[in-house]
Amino acid sequence: MDYMEKTVISVRNISKSFGKIQAVQDLSFTVESGSCFGFLGPNGAGKTTVMKMLYGKCTRDKNCNGQMDIFGYDPAKNELAIKYLSGVVQQENNLDAELNVIQNLMIYAKFYNIPFRVAKKRIEYLLDFLELSEKSDSKIKNLSGGMKRRLVIARSLLNSPRLLILDEPTTGLDPQVRHLIWDKIRQLQKQETTVLLTTHYMEEAFQLCGRLLIMHKGRMIMEGKPGDLLDKSIEKYVIEVLETDSMNQIGDDALLSRVRIDDAPNFLRYYSDDMDALKSLADSYLKGGNYLIRETNLEDVFLKATGRQLNDRQ
Amino acid sequence: MTGSNPPKYPPLYRRLYSVWYRHMRVYTNNMVSNGFPPFLEPLIFLTAVGLGLGKYITEPMGGVKYIEFLGTGLLVTTAMFTAAFECSFGTFFRMEYEKVYDGMLAAPMTVNNLIVGEIIWAGSKGLFFSFAVLCVLSVFRIVDLPYSLLAPLVGFLTAVMFAAISLLVTSFVKTMNHFNFYFTGFISPMFFFSGVVFPIASLPGYIRPLAEIVPLTHSVRLVRAVCTRNYRPILLLDLLYIAVFILVVGFFAIVRLRKRLVS
Repeated sequence: MDYMEKTVISVRNISKSFGKIQAVQDLSFTVESGSCFGFLGPNGAGKTTVMKMLYGKCTRDKNCNGQMDIFGYDPAKNELAIKYLSGVVQQENNLDAELNVIQNLMIYAKFYNIPFRVAKKRIEYLLDFLELSEKSDSKIKNLSGGMKRRLVIARSLLNSPRLLILDEPTTGLDPQVRHLIWDKIRQLQKQETTVLLTTHYMEEAFQLCGRLLIMHKGRMIMEGKPGDLLDKSIEKYVIEVLETDSMNQIGDDALLSRVRIDDAPNFLRYYSDDMDALKSLADSYLKGGNYLIRETNLEDVFLKATGRQLNDRQ
Repeated sequence: MTGSNPPKYPPLYRRLYSVWYRHMRVYTNNMVSNGFPPFLEPLIFLTAVGLGLGKYITEPMGGVKYIEFLGTGLLVTTAMFTAAFECSFGTFFRMEYEKVYDGMLAAPMTVNNLIVGEIIWAGSKGLFFSFAVLCVLSVFRIVDLPYSLLAPLVGFLTAVMFAAISLLVTSFVKTMNHFNFYFTGFISPMFFFSGVVFPIASLPGYIRPLAEIVPLTHSVRLVRAVCTRNYRPILLLDLLYIAVFILVVGFFAIVRLRKRLVS
């Protein structure tokens, strides 16, 4: 599948500052056609700023000598071309509350200059695709959070975008809607739509993204395939100790060199690649049973990479 | 990389039209509550003057009966008010609360397109409001058709001026309450001191230049000339003022709002 290998987004050394705050610092990445590329990071990491820079809602710092190429266009010069090729789902739903579902979509069809008849068919298809057909005449205020989100996604798909930018598409939604949206994103990818996604949900990133970029305080911490990030960046197993009393029972001497401690108030995690080492640690010191041994996941990678403390931007 | 074939994003006039269409669609969605008041308001005004106030003002004002004097002024004040509200509270609400602009700016349009579309929409609204007043005035035979049909065009220009300045004000505003200063300190005084309620000739000499600086005075002079078919050379200066005002204030409004909409 040579087509899949084609680079459609190439970003090199871009920075963005708002006054003294460095929102994005010297960020570079490339995205292949038809892939799903995820941005993972705590609030304030700069994920949304990167998304906005791609479609010209935010301009990159001029003195950073950065380069951006999105389907052959630079947002600083050709924002219209990029916007025309892209569909954007922003963090906030920003639907027109005074109009109903169809009218909301019709207005956006006008923005893309889609002829009326074509727009009508496309809207019908998209409402069906996102399982909103029954709601086509509903007022926005009568829609649930999940329906509003699906409608915004339908809106972003009106012009059959080659690039879909999803800024926290499923934040605050229930598991059913979240799975439905994941399913739709996968279907779109099969149709060669390139997807950029920001999320806090590790599972979402793991489920959807072919590549992941973890950001923290405007910088890239690590980048790669989710599986590789797990293999390379974190031990295989972890014991979580939930009770303070048991924590004190583990003496420093008991800690083998291959065990890494992650110390949080009232909560301890011991990481190791060696399951047996963790088990014997638990058997000898944690008699109370207030612990859990599990495989590590992206969340552990994330916390290791971005730290456990809240920062002033979160 | 692709890009050899430039994508066919909508041409400028389509982009401006789509912004206008969006506002028109939202506005006409409440036909009754939005379409009726523009006709009702001048009716109330003129009834009050005709039944009450007018009896005390027996002298002709500006060479015409008072009801005609005030009535023709309403043709442009209505445009002023609707544009000022649309591009202050309306714009601020769309920008900060509903985040409508954020969504629109992800579609193929620039901030300039968005704001110019906004101004054209406000102008159209002014045209319609002016037309509503004209309907009432002609029903009461206060103005004569057909030449007064040019009046809504003056309403359009008036609304465009006030759209531009209101957008400029909005670009400075941090909370909705700040607009109180704008309306109480700028818009309301203009209603009284621009020759709508009484001729500016009766203002003291030292205030009169002030009346010439503010935009409404020029609209009022134009619209009265249109309604009375009394065209004079000074009207060219009024037109020039309006053109320069729209271009200069509109330019700064766009520059400042762009900073707010694109970070």
